[in-house]
Amino acid sequence: MLRLPYFASRVVGAAVRSPRRAAVGALVAAAVVLGAAACDAGATAQDTAVGNGSSFVTGSYGTTVFRSGARPKAPDVAGTTLTGSKFRLSTDRGSVVVMNFWGSWCTPCREEAPALGTLARNFAGTDVRFVGVDIRDDPASAEAFMRTFRIGYPSLNDPSDLVALDFNGTVPPAGIPTTLVIDRSGRIAARIVGQASYSGLKALIKQVKAERG
Amino acid sequence: MTWLRTPPDAKPDAQAATPEGRSDAAVDVQDVTPEGHRDSVVDIQDVTPEGHRDAAADMQDVTPEGHRDAAATPRPTGLSLGVVGWLRWGWRQLTSMRTALVLLFLLAAGSVPGSLLPQDGTNPSSVAQYYSSHPVLARILGDLGLFNVFGAPWFAAIYILLFTSLVGCVLPRTLRLVGSARQPPPRAPGNLSRLPFAVSYATPLAPETALESAAKALSAKRFRLRTGPGWVAAEKGYLREVGNLLFHMALLGLLVSIGLGGLFGYKADRLLVTGTSFANTVTALDEFHPGRLVGPDNLQPFTVTLDHFSASYVTSGALVGQPAAFNARIRYSASPGDSMHSYDLAVNHPLIVDGARVFLIGHGYAPEFRITDGTGRVIFDGAVPFVPVETTGLVSEGAVKVPDASPKGLGFVGVFLPSAIDVGGKLESYFPAPNNPMVSLVSYAGNLGMNSGPSQSVYSLDTAGLHELAVSPRPLAIGQSIKLPNGLGTLTYTGYRQWVSLAITYDPGQTAALWSGIAVLAGLLLSFMVRRRRVFVRASTDETGNTIVDLGGLTRSDAAGGFEDEFAGLATEISGLHQASTDASQSPGPDLEAPDRTDRTDREGSGPSHREGSGPSDPEQSGPPDPEQSAGE
Repeated sequence: MLRLPYFASRVVGAAVRSPRRAAVGALVAAAVVLGAAACDAGATAQDTAVGNGSSFVTGSYGTTVFRSGARPKAPDVAGTTLTGSKFRLSTDRGSVVVMNFWGSWCTPCREEAPALGTLARNFAGTDVRFVGVDIRDDPASAEAFMRTFRIGYPSLNDPSDLVALDFNGTVPPAGIPTTLVIDRSGRIAARIVGQASYSGLKALIKQVKAERG
Repeated sequence: MTWLRTPPDAKPDAQAATPEGRSDAAVDVQDVTPEGHRDSVVDIQDVTPEGHRDAAADMQDVTPEGHRDAAATPRPTGLSLGVVGWLRWGWRQLTSMRTALVLLFLLAAGSVPGSLLPQDGTNPSSVAQYYSSHPVLARILGDLGLFNVFGAPWFAAIYILLFTSLVGCVLPRTLRLVGSARQPPPRAPGNLSRLPFAVSYATPLAPETALESAAKALSAKRFRLRTGPGWVAAEKGYLREVGNLLFHMALLGLLVSIGLGGLFGYKADRLLVTGTSFANTVTALDEFHPGRLVGPDNLQPFTVTLDHFSASYVTSGALVGQPAAFNARIRYSASPGDSMHSYDLAVNHPLIVDGARVFLIGHGYAPEFRITDGTGRVIFDGAVPFVPVETTGLVSEGAVKVPDASPKGLGFVGVFLPSAIDVGGKLESYFPAPNNPMVSLVSYAGNLGMNSGPSQSVYSLDTAGLHELAVSPRPLAIGQSIKLPNGLGTLTYTGYRQWVSLAITYDPGQTAALWSGIAVLAGLLLSFMVRRRRVFVRASTDETGNTIVDLGGLTRSDAAGGFEDEFAGLATEISGLHQASTDASQSPGPDLEAPDRTDRTDREGSGPSHREGSGPSDPEQSGPPDPEQSAGE
């Protein structure tokens, strides 16, 4: 909660101006943690905000696999990649698409990045496509991230969260990182909220890849 | 609320299982023996069933129904109750006041570990720390849900039970109040002189005629009437019951609407730098506190772009530096593809979109940096929000992290000074507006610790794996650069932007809760300000053939204010009717201090014709025979 003393004093009147309050306000504000907190969606309905900002709820993390009859249709996401080329999800119809929402500032994203990079290389040449969605990042940092972790697949540049918004009503990313596995008919087969593991994601990809359709 | 205020005289009746029946029986006895001289204290209470019934009703106000029921219900013995009986017993226990209080206490006690122990939802790294320092204890605590108290099943059980208890308590009482509001006045007691307000006089009219005109007068005053042989009972102030009813129904409404908000509402925060946009999705939010039944796909899909933010400050006088006005010019669309609308966000002037409210709750500065690493590549180029740490000059702190710089990761921490000034070698900011925006940074190189472990705050740097670099100049003005030693790179301070922090709230129960709250208050006021008051008239013929009219009045003992005058007025009016409509030579009505009945000289109750507030517990007050008693004859 970024309740700065500034506005507090404004709302109440001009009376409150103690530096201590300001310090407390800053402490509270520090908890907002632009990115880190966004890493951790799905916090519970608690109102305590002071912390190191790395709040995340283990309960909301995990993998959801959808049966083939109950798969929500993925929106036809489109946009510009970090390198400036156009991307449209529907052009990958017929392939299995692994879509990873990430940010270079996000610790679990950095932690899972090697696994994603390796998997992308291992599945290269098959009909499995990887695409990233870079959230709340500056392109220079994002490119540096991709160099560091040797990420070869493209990433959509999405500073305004429009890609995530497109998923509203289906299976929206419930935090950063979120990884979606989209089947050949453009339906969401699985969602991993939180850090994806090499083996877990690999098994999911293989499972969806083995489907014919 | 009259929660703890129990009229002392309520107790006898509260214990009586059937106050209604008991008082009626007492009245019957009185009817048979109208000359109830030997009235004991208890009898007096019986004679004035009204006070007690009201008092009992008060008790119900004070103590939920269920409590009394629970107290009155005999303990179940063995299996004789059967399943239904046990269920009923359990329900009564659950909806009793005692249980509600215990649950409330448990709720409070249950939140204690939530504040003593680190919580998963807010401070997971401390939880992890706890696990590593107390592995065995932590596992036990974790299994008990004490690291996620407010999400724990046992905690949910407490508040669901509390909610059920409250609803189960209030609902039947509401129904009972409906019955109470529709109740006719009780029968007139036999001995009206026992009532706190009483007057008696003779009239030449026949008893039936006298009663009829009294009834008419009371009816004209909008009293509710009930008649019987030789008496008229009248009652007024049912609005009190309406108020009571309103209060209870509104309380239910309040509970339900708060529940609605808790289930389907959410709160979120987002910091937004000018020139950027965000969409109301979980990934875009800094903080997200959803209600129980809110998922990531339930958020209103609006987008907000911050075009411009301006703040103005007081520039002179005692309040110099105080904010005078804030204005954030935004564009928003309600859902993807919708047209964009312009809006000016200000303090207490939220944007309402699709039922969600977006409040402007804070602002600050985000200095912009361009950083190149040892390879000469630009590896960072953007604005970094700094957080204000004081209000006078809006000095702000922040950190810049470049974990992917080569050959070494780079990190910077420092302050942003909107109006920088050198005070004896110490940098300060004298004003919140950006008159001389400078940054002062400490530079680090090494491992930022961002590739594993718990998430970090973006406003601070974990310097454990870093070493400080000796760089100059400090501070930096816009356009100035620092060159890092050993060819690690350069940092340029290119400018600054402003940011705002937005609070997004959605509470579907909010409007209902507001109206319920108002209704609760209105109901409470009504039930406090309106008194149930009863007036009884008896007319009979004494042994001399005169018609004796007895008037008695009663109201709640603890709120009698004003009734005295009302009763006096009524008595004046009725006795006036009775005198004026017959013999003009008789002394006219207003002289209430002129009662009349010789046969009452020996009565305890024939003291001053107006007996004010002489409670039933105070029979001694009935004084000597009225000196004026024969004046009217």
